[in-house]
Amino acid sequence: MDVFITNYYETGAVILFGIGFATLMLHRNLIKKIIGLNIMDTAVFLFFIAKGYIFGKDAPIIVDKFKGVDSYVNPVPSALMLTGIVVAVTTTAFALALTIKLYQHYGTVDLEDILKMRGDQND
Amino acid sequence: MTNYIPIINILILILFSFVMMLFKDKKKIKYISIGSNLVVFLLSIFLMVYSISREVITLSIGNPNNLLGIEFYIGKSESVVTLVFTFVMLMILWFSNFALEKEVPENRISFFYVLINILLASLLGVIYSNDLFNSYVFIEVSTLSACGIIILKDKKENIKATVKYLIMSTIGSGLVLMAIAYIYSITGHLNISLIHETIVGNYQYHENAVLIILGLFTIGLGIKSAVFPLHSWLPDAHSSAPTPASAALSALVIKVYVFMLMKVLFRMFNYEIVNSFIIMDIILLLGSMGMIFGSIMAIMQKELKRMVAYSSVAQMGYIVFGIGLGTVTGTAIAIYHIIGHAVTKSSLFLISGLFIEKTGSKKIEDLKGIGREMPLTLGLFTLGAFSMVGIPILPGFISKWYLSLTCIEVGRVPLILIILASSLLNVLYYFPIVINGYFGNDNLDGKVYNSKKVEFIRILPIVLLVLAMMIIGGISFNLIELFNI
Repeated sequence: MDVFITNYYETGAVILFGIGFATLMLHRNLIKKIIGLNIMDTAVFLFFIAKGYIFGKDAPIIVDKFKGVDSYVNPVPSALMLTGIVVAVTTTAFALALTIKLYQHYGTVDLEDILKMRGDQND
Repeated sequence: MTNYIPIINILILILFSFVMMLFKDKKKIKYISIGSNLVVFLLSIFLMVYSISREVITLSIGNPNNLLGIEFYIGKSESVVTLVFTFVMLMILWFSNFALEKEVPENRISFFYVLINILLASLLGVIYSNDLFNSYVFIEVSTLSACGIIILKDKKENIKATVKYLIMSTIGSGLVLMAIAYIYSITGHLNISLIHETIVGNYQYHENAVLIILGLFTIGLGIKSAVFPLHSWLPDAHSSAPTPASAALSALVIKVYVFMLMKVLFRMFNYEIVNSFIIMDIILLLGSMGMIFGSIMAIMQKELKRMVAYSSVAQMGYIVFGIGLGTVTGTAIAIYHIIGHAVTKSSLFLISGLFIEKTGSKKIEDLKGIGREMPLTLGLFTLGAFSMVGIPILPGFISKWYLSLTCIEVGRVPLILIILASSLLNVLYYFPIVINGYFGNDNLDGKVYNSKKVEFIRILPIVLLVLAMMIIGGISFNLIELFNI
């Protein structure tokens, strides 16, 4: 149990990941699925950022004078997550645009109902 | 200079895809697209010739000391796969030059060429990249552009298929990203070679973490490459897309993720580590199930393109089966099957597109007697079908033969039965088309010889693909020797 409390960032991240994953898998509504996708991605961002943060150290930007190698954190995890956020935003935008298209054609955003409809009678 | 070819390849494709957007004239866009792909193909020939004589080519990007680990890694298998992929893409573009207008609305044709350049660039990026996070970004780019080329047709079916594909692949990429987070937190590296150095000595202290990482990578990349129980998006997406797009998706896109899985399993970890976990048996099981159930579902299909798409699920089973054997030879055959299937499946999809265009029907039963109306086209289809079924000298046979030999080598003889059963099932869905096409008085009644002939220039790319298939079958021994490192 102690492990979970000392590493509370990671625990939280994994729980969030589970919530997002379950939402993405189990919900029928497309908008909720997209929300689940975002929660899932955010969980990974939290995980990475928590790994890159060390208490008491600065961001790797030199203000006034250089304080020595040991007083700055590694910038790579934050930089990676910046890219990760861009990717997540792109996917979300694309998914939302598709949802609008889907609603125009089928009149519903419920994925189960849409999958039941046969779409080929108008081909 | 030759060292820089990989990055030049990717840059040419991406830069020209942006240049294309500046033009309005469709003819110019086509020429730019085909031209840039031709240049990339020629450079890939160069790269392959260069890399065969060397061990590996590595190219550090950003700094020469490889501190950040952003790196390209091109071994022999990477360069051969690149060459085959660029060749297949060039042929698909040639074909689409004449066929795309018939399926896609006029104002969307230029998007196809833009997206296909971005798609090929990101696929090459996944193949080359030795850095996990860069691979992730390339994977996302390829997924979005693949969704883009499915939705070009703007029918109800396509939107549904795209949404399904997008949702499934975002689950996949979420899992892959989580796996990357885990591996970064236990090793502190993202470069596959550096991770390998760190993890080989330490993996026994992180057994659970390594198991989770392997599971996340297998499921995440498995969803994207349509490994059997996770394939539900594939038949819709690949059958509803425009013909050149489905050829590209089925022949190239799903292969790349499995290639990345191979890199993760055998280069990031190694054979010894992965074989000590249960994951390899699960991969083997998934492969066997895919080989059997993919073929059974293909038999039940009534539409030609859906059948060919389900056949892709079965063929992915062979590739995954090869990986699951967990030996060097198994991996070499998996890579061989990737290139063999890339040329075969792209030609089969392009031919199905021609059949559908000429007969005006998607149904398999309307293809009866097609052998009298389109003899050459059905002949090419027959050759592709022979390769899928496993007639000697063609690539399908070589993969099955060597897979069986490897099964005996690792002492898992009963698995040969699965390979045999799958081949017989392949016969059941490919041969009826060929037999009903050429033979049977009822079928041929009232059909006029060569009445639905296609111009030779449109068939030529398919002929070249089939020729390439035969060449790959002919030099199979050398190729497998090359991958057998």
